[in-house]
Amino acid sequence: MSDQTQAIRPAVIIGGNRIPFARSNGAYSKASNQDMLTAALDGLIARFGLQGQRLGAVAAGAVLKHSKDFNLVRECVLGTSLSAQTPAYDVQMACATGMEAIGSLANKIKLGQIDSGIGGGVDTTSDAPIAVSEGLRAVLMDLSRARTTGAKLKAVSRFRPRDLAPNAPGTGEPRTGLSMGDHQAITTKAWNISRAAQDELALASHKNLAAAYERNFFDDLITPFAGVSKDTNMRADSTLEKLASLKPAFGKNLGAEATMTAGNSTPLTDGASAVLLGSEDYAREHDLPMLANFVDFEAAAVDFVHGAEGLLMAPTYAVARILERNNLSLQDFDFYEIHEAFAGTVLATLAAWEDAEFCKNKLGLQAPLGAIDRSRLNVNGSSLAAGHPFAATGGRIVASLAKMLHEKGSGRGLVSVCAAGGQGVVAILEAR
Amino acid sequence: MSARERVVLDAVPSLGALYAKAAGSRLRALLPGGKAAGGTLPEVEHHLEALVADPARLVAYQRLMGDTVRDTLPSVFVHGMVFPVAMSVMVREDFPLPLLGMVHLANQVDHLRPISSTATLSATARAADLRGHRAGTQLDVLVEVAEGGEPVWRGVSTYLARGVWPGSRPGAPAEARAPFTIPGRTASWKLAADTGRAYAAVLGDYNPIHLSAASARALGMKRAIAHGMYLAGRALAGSTPHDTGYKWGIEFATPVFLPSTVDVAFTDRGDHTVFSGWGARSGKPHFSGSITTMAQAPGSGRQSRRP
Repeated sequence: MSDQTQAIRPAVIIGGNRIPFARSNGAYSKASNQDMLTAALDGLIARFGLQGQRLGAVAAGAVLKHSKDFNLVRECVLGTSLSAQTPAYDVQMACATGMEAIGSLANKIKLGQIDSGIGGGVDTTSDAPIAVSEGLRAVLMDLSRARTTGAKLKAVSRFRPRDLAPNAPGTGEPRTGLSMGDHQAITTKAWNISRAAQDELALASHKNLAAAYERNFFDDLITPFAGVSKDTNMRADSTLEKLASLKPAFGKNLGAEATMTAGNSTPLTDGASAVLLGSEDYAREHDLPMLANFVDFEAAAVDFVHGAEGLLMAPTYAVARILERNNLSLQDFDFYEIHEAFAGTVLATLAAWEDAEFCKNKLGLQAPLGAIDRSRLNVNGSSLAAGHPFAATGGRIVASLAKMLHEKGSGRGLVSVCAAGGQGVVAILEAR
Repeated sequence: MSARERVVLDAVPSLGALYAKAAGSRLRALLPGGKAAGGTLPEVEHHLEALVADPARLVAYQRLMGDTVRDTLPSVFVHGMVFPVAMSVMVREDFPLPLLGMVHLANQVDHLRPISSTATLSATARAADLRGHRAGTQLDVLVEVAEGGEPVWRGVSTYLARGVWPGSRPGAPAEARAPFTIPGRTASWKLAADTGRAYAAVLGDYNPIHLSAASARALGMKRAIAHGMYLAGRALAGSTPHDTGYKWGIEFATPVFLPSTVDVAFTDRGDHTVFSGWGARSGKPHFSGSITTMAQAPGSGRQSRRP
């Protein structure tokens, strides 16, 4: 029997690997989720010499998934040189999939249930699952249930030519019919986020990402795939003038007040990421680096359906709770990784934390969380420049932040990732 | 008030037959010496027993509205089930107004408690409160639905017959309508050209003004318009409580011509939710309404979610 009073132990981030992210319908058009996640895992396995090892678990997921990929992550593991005895499972929490996969693995390590694990995610909008229409599906299902010729004919007779139109997945919220960008446009306007501020954030993302490549920051975080060695969405030579020339892409119902463009919003992207975690003992026994501790993570959700809150504002709530639980203030961090779903998301999040009324009425705080030092925000670029293959973003952020903390040698980092369905996951990492 | 005569129907009237009858009376009304707008409503109520929801139709309704398939009846589905009873009152020979072309102005419903999808229901419908409106004559159709004699659903539907007045035409209303300002949208509905046909296929309401541009034009509309109860059903789907009764109401402003994109705003006001819809392009108000959860009766045997 295990010792019931056993204290939890640290979960350590050992390292990460991803393939370069590629804009949709570009370099990875013919790559499947399984191909890309396997490539990210292969690179991680090679980097840390995991060949033949039985890991505690591999947890990952994809937001857009073919029904044939019901066991996507296990199938990927079977295609790698990890021991075939490594269990694997799929996680799905929209754009927070990677964070949830990594955080849950960290918890298992902390509890002593597993000693090692890989968490991550993958997504493609180029190899997206396209389904038959609901009408055709109903006919086919009734046909498969029909026992008699008469019943079969009856089922087939309900087929209509319009049922031939396929169903492609979209980024619309099922309950509102609004795209994620149109939802964010509501929040962006509510917080009076200017077009200029959004374009500046987007430009900083490209510049920071380019500078990180320049100083070879990603050399041990990325392995090339399909002839691509850098994120294809990155525009190192972008300028505020170019960004200012773009027409609004979301919130077009706002007319002249629309501020969200393709430049300050993430594009649809393909890619995969993976992060290796372990106990301290595991890392020492295998002579592996320890970059950072995965201290804690917290999920939140908001009611955007009835207008109570903006779709992508859940992380503001999650951060308030995780800070309180860990006895920290918002200013106790050396790095802030706020996922740039849209520039407006990041800026509305920061504005909300500074807003006394929001912090009091929505977050239940005596005082606002306050401002952050903007020079610590997304210092090596984020999703606006790198792109955002939904489930792969968590792994990109955690691996980069762990390395940044380790390079610095001290301090903490805060991760904030918003997700469809009015959800979000935030996490705290600590340097080692 | 004199005692109302009760007409007991022996089966659910066919809406198709009712519309045919309404069309006939409309044609007759157009002929010289045809029926003019009368001044009184018949003192009568129509009653139907043993009404049970068709499970396949219920699922089709829930799918159409984007609602969850549950074993309780959505409020607008109940309206659809009992609508033939209400309509049988409105096509009576002694009903003073022409049914076809009548405009749906508003609904107020008390959904008194959750109604099982297998419940055997009765419905009683009558028309009331014939009154002038600046654009014609309006009246209420009152329907009460009961299970085992206990009322479970009460609805008031308000209709307008344009261009006919029971007495003298009233003057313009004293207060002008407040100008409509577009609220912040929280949802957007893309309504296809076949929205009216899809609703008719589920709830059997083949009113020509909803079916196609051609059939709507025959009744003076420029194109087919979305069924008011379809809009109400969409608004209620996902926003009504499931473990207690609720009140809801909707008022219709301008018709939704199909196809169309309707922007919608839901606002949670604590004890009730308000909603409104307007044309994404035109900016014209289409409807507005509210949903209010009823307090659970103590000792009703239903468990509250929180102690």
